[in-house]
Order: sequence, then structure tokens, then C-alpha cells
Amino acid sequence: MRSAKAIFIKQLQDTFKNRLILIQLIIFPMMAFIMTELVAKVDETIPNSIFVTMFAAMFVGMTPLVMTNSAIAEDREHKSLRFLVMAGVKPYEYLLGIGGFIVLFCSFVSLVFGLIGGFTGVVFVKFVSVLVLGSVASTLLGAIIGILSKNQQAAAALGMPIAMLLAFAPMIANFNNTIEKIADIFYTQQVNVLVNDSSASVTRPFFIIVLNIIVLLILFTLAYKKKGLKS
Amino acid sequence: MIKMTNIVKRFGEQTVLADITFETYTKEIFGLLGPSGAGKTTIINILTNQLSADEGTHSIDATPFETGLMLDEDGLYVRLNCLENLNIFAGIYGISHKKSMEALKRVGLESDAKKAVNTLSRGMRQRLAIARAILHEPKVLFLDEPTSGLDPVTARGIHKLILNLRENGATVFLTTHNMDEAVKICDRVALLHKGKIVEQGIPTEICHRHNAVKTVPDLEAVFIKMTGVGLE
Repeated sequence: MRSAKAIFIKQLQDTFKNRLILIQLIIFPMMAFIMTELVAKVDETIPNSIFVTMFAAMFVGMTPLVMTNSAIAEDREHKSLRFLVMAGVKPYEYLLGIGGFIVLFCSFVSLVFGLIGGFTGVVFVKFVSVLVLGSVASTLLGAIIGILSKNQQAAAALGMPIAMLLAFAPMIANFNNTIEKIADIFYTQQVNVLVNDSSASVTRPFFIIVLNIIVLLILFTLAYKKKGLKS
Repeated sequence: MIKMTNIVKRFGEQTVLADITFETYTKEIFGLLGPSGAGKTTIINILTNQLSADEGTHSIDATPFETGLMLDEDGLYVRLNCLENLNIFAGIYGISHKKSMEALKRVGLESDAKKAVNTLSRGMRQRLAIARAILHEPKVLFLDEPTSGLDPVTARGIHKLILNLRENGATVFLTTHNMDEAVKICDRVALLHKGKIVEQGIPTEICHRHNAVKTVPDLEAVFIKMTGVGLE
């Protein structure tokens, strides 16, 4: 576990020195805050939490995915991963270090979203828990893309369209029944359902998100067996 | 300590290593000499299990934790500073972070400890890569062209460091295409040409064997005699 801890600390230090990733982390809660303060709280016809839920769902679909795939792809491209493996770091320790930090950091941002939205009590806990679960799924998907990509450019080319598709599908689903039916199987749609409607039944969306995580874990195992972490 | 026996490696139709056999002893500096493309890095990659050989056997009398590595691509975290880069590995090896500063001192980078890697010169990055390789005081150290592209003063500093590591009990396996460097610091060398070892032994003895001693032993003359080509 000490290797996972060392990689967790590395990822923490590196994230705060990586402007592109910091922008990814800050932009969604910042937009949610600005829109809530300037639009939702001014216009009484708009629910106060509408921008928070919208940007939170986008954040979960995009940020953990992009952070994970770019971290893994960069380590592969710069051959840093080679030195970690040579130092005896096991693949699961590496992925636990990277993924653990990203999920934890996204959990912190989820708390910020909850505070901006003004949620309290059970609603607050449910809101944050759903975002954390969604972040786990996105991190796994990012790890799959990072493993399958040769370098950062390839990871971005593959990761960004997938992230955008997952982040924006729930929004498009509002206007099209067919897309809604397709989007229904993805975790981002279920995250969107749960964060937008605090009175919605939890069982089905929760089941679909967990199912997504299980499927992504299986796909991750297959991708790892095929490509591994070797540069 | 390090042993390769009848190693053959092919990339597709091309045989890049043919029947490579050598052995290094404990606490010696063993140099693998040859021009670019001779197969030096491929041998290091096989010895460190990053590549598998098609034929033959190899072994190292050390665990991954007892092995240090410096390769052509340094793999440093460019946004982090020198100390942070070493502390990652100190954490992995389970050693005190104090060792990171000690390693930086040994390579003369203590005053640059807080500098980000992407602001360092090439020579400083090479030294930092060596500091990472020696951080955990390994029994076996692989150095792939450690002074390649460095100015003579920095190169001399690295030579001193390598000799010092041997004095402290490490076995050093280095590759180079600089014959003077090999004569100066290596206890034994193997000359590699187009994937084959054409000669091996103690540098001065090799030079005497091939009448390549004028004022100083001239390994390059031996290499040209054996292969018909120069090193550059």
C-alpha cells in the first residue's frame, strides 16, 4: 500500500501544478456558482438549484474521465510508468493511487456543488453520494481509455468525445425520446435523474449506476489484460 | 552478478542480438560499448525484464528493490521539483525522505532541490535521473549512456560519482559509445557491434592484445580493427 500512497501524493502534487487539469476541476463548480448567483437567485421562475444540478452532472461525466485518462497516458508517454514498474510498483497499486486521488478530489468538488446548491440533510447526503458514485464510474472509464491509448494525444482524441457524449446525453435526452431510452442505460443519465429530482425513486437509478460500475470494472480488467501498463 | 548466456533477440525478420554471452562480477564497473544501434539498450531492456529474449537465459543477483536504473528517457515528472521526484520513489521504497536530499547532494543538485524538472538543463536532468537510480543504494545499477550529450566537466563529475558507487559496493553496468570513458572508469568491457560481442575483457588488456597502445590504451582503434567502422 505504500506505493499506492506515494503515487496518490504524486498525483496530488502534480494536479496542483497542472493548469489544464485545474481548469477542468474548477470550471464546472465556478459556472454553477456564477449562474446560480446571477441568474437563478434573481429570476424567481428558475429553481435555485437548476444550474448546480446541470453542471454537477456534466462534471461527473467529464472531469474524472479526462483527469484519469490524461494522467495514465502522460505517465506512459513520458516513460515515468516504466520507472514505477521497475521500482516494483504493482499495477493495482498504481491505479489505486491515481484513481483514489481523483475520486477523492471529485468527492470534495461534489461537496462544493452541494453547498452551492444549498442542499441540506438527507438531500445533501444523497446528492453528494450520487456524484461520488458517478465519479467512480467515470474514473474507471478514464482508466480504460488511458490504458488503451498510446499517448496523451490519442487519449484526448478518444476520451473527449466519449466524455462529451456522456456529459451531454442527459441534456439532449430531455428533447428526444429515442435518445432518452438509449441514454437510460448510462450512469450519467441516472446521475442526472437523481440530482435533478430529490423525490425520485433511488432504487432503479442506483441499480443502473452500480451495474455500470460492474461492467466498467470487467471492461477495465479485459483492457488491462490486453494492454497492461507497459510503455 | 549479472549473467547473459546465448541471448538472441529478433524484431520481426531482423536479428538485433545474436548469441550474447557475458558475465559481470560483484562490485565492478562493466561497460558495454558500441555505436548507436548496436543493441546496447536492448540488452539493458532484456536484463531488466522490459523485453523478453527469443533464445538464451539471463539472471541478476538482485531483486527489483536492489536494482537502480537510468535510461535514455529519464521518465521524470516534469511539473514536480527535484525533491518531489525523488520523494515519490523514497515513498515507494519505504525509505526516509532525508535520503532524497542526500542523493541530490551526491549528484550536486542540493541547491536546485526546489526547481521544477522542466526548468533544468539536460545535464541536470541526467544527474537527477542518476540520483533517483541511487536513492535506495542499490546493489546493481544500470546506466544507459549516462554522460551522453554532456559537457566534459559534468561528464567528469558523473564519472567520479560512478567510481564512488563502486567503492561503496555497487555493481555498475553501463552502456556508452565513448571509448575514453570506458578506459577511464570500466573494470571490464564488452565491445558490441551489430548485435554481436566482438571482444570482451579488461580495457588495457584488450588494447595490448590488439597492439592498440600508443601513449594510452586506445579502445577505439581496437573497435575499428575488429569491425571496420568507427563509433561516430
